[in-house]
Amino acid sequence: MEEKPISQQESLLLIQQMIQTAKREQKDDGKGWIVWGWMLFISSVLTITNLHFKWFSTYFFWNVFGIASILIFIYETTYFLFVSKRIKVRTYTKDLFEKLNAGFFISLMFIIVAINTGVPPTKGFALLISLYAFWILIYGSALNFKPSVVGAYITWAFGIVALFVKTFELVMVMHALGVLFGYIIPGHIAYKEFRKLHRKEMAEIV
Amino acid sequence: MFKELDPILHSQLRLAVMSLLISVKEAEFTYLKEKTNATAGNLSVQIQKLRDAGYIDVAKQFKDNYPQTTCKITTKGVDAFELYVKVLNEYINR
Repeated sequence: MEEKPISQQESLLLIQQMIQTAKREQKDDGKGWIVWGWMLFISSVLTITNLHFKWFSTYFFWNVFGIASILIFIYETTYFLFVSKRIKVRTYTKDLFEKLNAGFFISLMFIIVAINTGVPPTKGFALLISLYAFWILIYGSALNFKPSVVGAYITWAFGIVALFVKTFELVMVMHALGVLFGYIIPGHIAYKEFRKLHRKEMAEIV
Repeated sequence: MFKELDPILHSQLRLAVMSLLISVKEAEFTYLKEKTNATAGNLSVQIQKLRDAGYIDVAKQFKDNYPQTTCKITTKGVDAFELYVKVLNEYINR
């Protein structure tokens, strides 16, 4: 691009192109939702299976999930601080997500501690489902991503049901369904859309 | 009677920079260079013009021993951009 005068039509086209370019910075590839969603889903399903076959203690797979989450968190933090490229652009959406994620993990820890200090796990997991739904709704709304917004309300519905079911096994079923509709399905849709957009960009460059 | 289009904005590279900056919170010089496909020298000159007009803020600092220039649109810049788009629409729709 050079420094040259342009016509009114060219100006309008240029503004549209550049705003579209900047908007791409605000797209999420959905990978985070997919990994987090599948981890939660598999832990729920393994816990249901474990309750049937009684291989280990009831919360064995949630303890494994906790250790795996801590290891991933350490890896991600190390990568972010020492390996990843410098941030070239900051958007208002990214800033909002940083705060939202911080709030989410503080609340997550709060509920986990509550479960470990007396709150019944059946109620604790119902609260966790509700927390996921809250996060998904804000994230989806900020990205204007309808599958997440719809997924959030479905997740809340499962959370409400989980609050009233009697057995931990059923709570785990609600938990698995909640993360399936809240994280996994929207995550895969977002990933597919992101790949499509990426391919389009590559085609434009070539 | 049509208003004059802002001469500071009515040029390809400066308008591209402003259009990018209006959509984000702040952007590094390298990002603007990458997205506009401009040369570093030309982009520096145009950024300086936008800065002199008070349309953008430019912060220079060192990060990991490398110079880092960050640009951010100002309130005056947002107003000027909005007015530019409004006048542009009047021209196109006349």
